[in-house]
Amino acid sequence: MEFGPGIWGPIVATAVMLLGVAIGYLLLSISRRYMVPKPSVEKLRTYACGEVLEPEEVHVESEQFYSPIRRVFKPFYRFVRPAHTGILSTYLLWVFVGFIMILIAIVVALR
Amino acid sequence: MIAHAPILAIVVPLFAAFLTPVVSIVAKRFGVERARDWFVVGAAILMLLIVASMVPAVWRGEVLVYKLGGWSPPWGINLAVDGLNLLVALIIASVVSLIAIYSVVYMERDNGLEKYYTLLMLVTAGCMGVTLTGDVFNLFVFFEIMSISSYALVAFRRNWDSVEAGIKYMIIGSLGTSFILLSIALMYGLVGSLNIADLAGKIATIKATQPLPMIVPLMLTLFVVGFGIKIAMVPLHAWLPDAYQAAPSAISALLSGATATVGVYAMLRVSYMLFGALAIGTMFIILGLVTMVVGGLMALVQRDLKRLLAYSSISQMGYILLGVGFGTAMGIQGGLFHLLNNAIYKVLLFMCAGAIVYRVGTSNLDELGGLGKNMPITATLFVVGALAISGVPPLNGFASKWTIYVAGMEAGQPICTAIAVVMSALTLAYFLKAINLMFLGQRPEHLREVKEAPPLMLFPMLMLAAFCVVFGILPGLGIDLVRPAQSAVMNQLGYIGSVMGAG
Repeated sequence: MEFGPGIWGPIVATAVMLLGVAIGYLLLSISRRYMVPKPSVEKLRTYACGEVLEPEEVHVESEQFYSPIRRVFKPFYRFVRPAHTGILSTYLLWVFVGFIMILIAIVVALR
Repeated sequence: MIAHAPILAIVVPLFAAFLTPVVSIVAKRFGVERARDWFVVGAAILMLLIVASMVPAVWRGEVLVYKLGGWSPPWGINLAVDGLNLLVALIIASVVSLIAIYSVVYMERDNGLEKYYTLLMLVTAGCMGVTLTGDVFNLFVFFEIMSISSYALVAFRRNWDSVEAGIKYMIIGSLGTSFILLSIALMYGLVGSLNIADLAGKIATIKATQPLPMIVPLMLTLFVVGFGIKIAMVPLHAWLPDAYQAAPSAISALLSGATATVGVYAMLRVSYMLFGALAIGTMFIILGLVTMVVGGLMALVQRDLKRLLAYSSISQMGYILLGVGFGTAMGIQGGLFHLLNNAIYKVLLFMCAGAIVYRVGTSNLDELGGLGKNMPITATLFVVGALAISGVPPLNGFASKWTIYVAGMEAGQPICTAIAVVMSALTLAYFLKAINLMFLGQRPEHLREVKEAPPLMLFPMLMLAAFCVVFGILPGLGIDLVRPAQSAVMNQLGYIGSVMGAG
């Protein structure tokens, strides 16, 4: 079954994806027959600079994710993000600015 | 069709709202407080059945015109149901039914639940009223019922954050509804009518005159800004992240799945059908792109799951605006299909967030981790919702985004389409971050005893995840659902003829 003018066939694609998952699972289960992981307690611990770290300490800071993307969009994060101040009067100013922009756009479009 | 179905779809939730406190008192006296919750669930399901009963007639191409008091349009108040508002009514009724079931357990630790359920039913009645009315003043009245109840629900938990968010939402939202009322007053002064079909005919006559009276674009602007605040179109979006974060998750789901859908409906009804202004499509495309980019980039840096979902809601509204902005049959179809899909996966994601808050007590991503072991079903459902919203095949988000991309290419807008594709990848990026921080990695000691969400909360989530899969694997089903709506949007004359001819 297809839809739209493209070549995407959702049922065929889903079947292929499920087949891929099945093959992956099969390979995994076969490999586990030959090599069963039996880590010792020491191997499961997390070490850094000779210290054992607790699970709470190895958690990745959510702020640190995708820092390269943040660098690419530096102007956005420097100017637009801080503008989300939480101050109501600022937000009302945005509504006013939006109103003017939309009014101009509609006047131009309808004339 | 059930007799009087159009008015019953509004009356059932409205009466349920008034009856809920009474049912609550009786239920408390007999020691069965859950009876109140199930009464609301029953009312929501009854409303869904009533709305569903209108499907065969509307899908045959009829516009159901219900004349209150037997007064013919344009003199009396009437309800007019075509393909567009039937789709929106179906979304609202389904979403509210699932949220009511979810709330039975999710809200059990709160007090004042008779107020919660009363407000929930009032929001529903407001949504249904806005959707089904054929009269622009009643549209405003129901819009106010919906909005004021939403403000109270956002502040329901009465802590500092929720009250502050509720007040911000109330002030900005009231500004929006004031714009709508002002526009209606100007419109009534200009043409002396409040009936949408009658107004559409008269405004078309005025638009044909040259030069175009300045009051026409002003009225349209007031409407677009008023409804734009409700759908959180950038730069009118500022109220939304605070409100979605502070509200109970069931209410965040309601706001993103039902009231935002109603906002888009009202925007389409007024812009394309009342003003016949397909020419402003370019403005919707630009606003859609800005909304998509700002929402996506803001979502990427959030530390709180509900705030991330809130910005993601803003971003998804951009896709809908982009689709309908193309103004072509496929673009509008894609936009409406995305509206349907957005309601499905956004409600699912907020419900998953609610399940985590219910079990762990926080939605701060930095305090979570490794929950996939404790909450495997919630984790799986969240992953389904996240992949769906990111447009990963074979889920429903891919189907609607693909339709929008194809529409963009056909409309000669490859740059807009490319931006939409990039933002879709960005959506996947921030949802993978959320999945990683919540469900993968090492589990902190204090989360070791966390249990899976209760079955009654999982049931609506499973239903929504199933819809994500079904509409993805069988996108033809979704397209068939939205095609009557797309035909209705593009058939202004048919709507006018059906409603005015009903006299």
